[in-house]
Amino acid sequence: MRVKRVAAVARFEFLAVVKRWSYLIATFGLPIFLAVVSGTVLGVQTYFLTQRAEESSAFGLVDGPGVVDASRFEPRDGEKVWTSEASDVVLYDDEEDAIGALESGRLRALYVIADDYLQSGQIRAIQSEKTPLLSMRGTKVEPLLRSLLRKSLLEGRLDEDVQERVIAPAVFVRARLGPDGVEVSEVDEALDLLVRTTIPLFLGVLLLTALLSASGYLVQTVATDKESKIVEVLLSSVTPEEILAGKLFGLGAAGLVQFAAWTSMVIFVALSASAALTAVIAVPWSALALSPILFVLGYVFLGSLMLATAALGANAAESQKLTMGWAMLAILPLMVLVVLLEDPNGLLGQVMTWIPFTSPLTVIIRLAVEPSGTAWWEVAGAIVVLILSTWLAIRVGARLFRVGFLLTGSRPSLAELWRQAK
Amino acid sequence: MGILEYHAVGKQFGGRTALRDVSLEVQVGEVFGLLGPNGAGKTTLIRIGLDILRADEGAVMLFGAAPNQGALDRTAYLPEERGVYRRAKVRDLLVYLGKLKGFGRKPAAEAADGWLDRVGLSQVADQRVESLSKGMTQKVQIAACLMTDPELCVLDEPFSGLDPVNVGLVTGLIEERRARGRTTVLSTHMMHQVEALCDRVALVHRGVLVEYGQLDEIRRRYSPNEVIVWTRTDLLALGVTATRHKAGGWRVELPARETAAGYLDALVRNGVQIERYEPLVARMDDIFVRLVGGGR
Repeated sequence: MRVKRVAAVARFEFLAVVKRWSYLIATFGLPIFLAVVSGTVLGVQTYFLTQRAEESSAFGLVDGPGVVDASRFEPRDGEKVWTSEASDVVLYDDEEDAIGALESGRLRALYVIADDYLQSGQIRAIQSEKTPLLSMRGTKVEPLLRSLLRKSLLEGRLDEDVQERVIAPAVFVRARLGPDGVEVSEVDEALDLLVRTTIPLFLGVLLLTALLSASGYLVQTVATDKESKIVEVLLSSVTPEEILAGKLFGLGAAGLVQFAAWTSMVIFVALSASAALTAVIAVPWSALALSPILFVLGYVFLGSLMLATAALGANAAESQKLTMGWAMLAILPLMVLVVLLEDPNGLLGQVMTWIPFTSPLTVIIRLAVEPSGTAWWEVAGAIVVLILSTWLAIRVGARLFRVGFLLTGSRPSLAELWRQAK
Repeated sequence: MGILEYHAVGKQFGGRTALRDVSLEVQVGEVFGLLGPNGAGKTTLIRIGLDILRADEGAVMLFGAAPNQGALDRTAYLPEERGVYRRAKVRDLLVYLGKLKGFGRKPAAEAADGWLDRVGLSQVADQRVESLSKGMTQKVQIAACLMTDPELCVLDEPFSGLDPVNVGLVTGLIEERRARGRTTVLSTHMMHQVEALCDRVALVHRGVLVEYGQLDEIRRRYSPNEVIVWTRTDLLALGVTATRHKAGGWRVELPARETAAGYLDALVRNGVQIERYEPLVARMDDIFVRLVGGGR
């Protein structure tokens, strides 16, 4: 194989792809687009939160049956006010006065305890016309009122500490068993789940997208060569193996640039998150560090098979169909993602680590979700298996590629393929 | 020794025989015509010669050895099914194809510019191929083929899609190659171009070589023993068996053992004032139809 010819094919293919608008948009536009969308969403949220903060935070309470412990309300400017967690609750004796305060905008909402509260438990929540529908759902006033009512109802009937436990029976402290014993961290369950799954999922999807994107370019370029009838011109100058290698390198480089651009975004987000939330977020650095290696190996392995198979198709549509099987195998880890996230080091994860089609994505997900549970020899073994499989794929792929690339119009029989692949 | 030799070459596709026992050689410095009807096996023969396909039987020698990459670097091929990267810019495409033949970037760029100038396409060097007309694209492909000044160039239907001016241009390029000792294999259905350009020809029909040799010798062999005589003398009055020819002269069928030169001598000796005298030579069109037309 002549290196200069391979380099010439690689350079041409690389430039042909990276100069396309679709590539530039996908590679650099997508992260910018996501940043703009995220920024806009955050900006809009911040704006509305600011607006809400500027709205009145006072609520009215009319206690007809007298169930609330009025001693908790303090006199302020001629009103009886109970302040808790940045919300003021004003106690009114007269419902009409309270309605007037609601109409004037002094109150954000008014709560009227029903006369038969002890039997029905009903409290009417009245909002003004200006108050957005359902806006109370986002405030803490209703949980505070519940707490106030519980305390008032229990007052004098139970000991103070028992009252507290009736009101708040359990405070869960989250902890996770780490490699060096019990590590206690006050991680919110939702945040914990988010941290543990989002970054691996994101990284895995990026790896897979970049792999399939680069492989897609390969299929496209082979189909273009065959459809444009330039195959014979190429083959009168270079060998099929040189074309295959050139296309693999050129389009792989384009895919790597794309993956690097996307991964840079992940690293940027990870670094920002790491700086802001050092205590709760464990950035999967090992997965991030290994991802370029796994991308290259996974791409060359998958790309060789895709090129060889695509060459057997008579046109782009047929080539796409023929290569779909390889893509499905590569997607397999995403199909069983729930199992992998739940139990990354279980039997399924371990088995898929050793299968070259699934190993790049599986290793990334396992390392990202639970780095400590993945043995170094598993990662090394997966890489060795991937290298061996890639070597085999290139050898067989180059031969099939030659058969497929040369035979325009008629597809070779399975017997012919087998004869060539031996 | 031929620059390209086929020895008893056979090739089958599935159960169909594409070539059977074909032996011929292309000699250095000649323009060799590879002729035959559509589907005769010409393209398969070319592909085997350039190592794009492998023969099932027989052997091929390119530059005195089995086809190899070194030998292929000394050849160029313009296939009948034209192929270009339509989205590539004209100069970039030529530079790329030059590099595939082993040129460095700079020599490839210089050759590309030089050849675009020669075929009159300098002004479209930075345009995409897809923006060119069919004839212009054809000239780009011819430039791509000739830009490395290959010792052997195989041109499959190089004149299709070209106007008469550009046919003249390409004809000139082929003649210029011959003058410099470069070899050209020309596959075409335009028989008048074959007559104008080729030194030797091979005619393939249904995968079998049915005619092969010097063009003049083949034409002579298939020619009737007739001459056309332009004279004011009434040949019929002299007792000559003659008919009026469409070109204005007398068409005379010579006796079996008589030669054109001998008959001319006899006419002059009999006092016939000859204005123009021309032995009738078979046209390649007629030979082609005669050899392949019967079975079609």
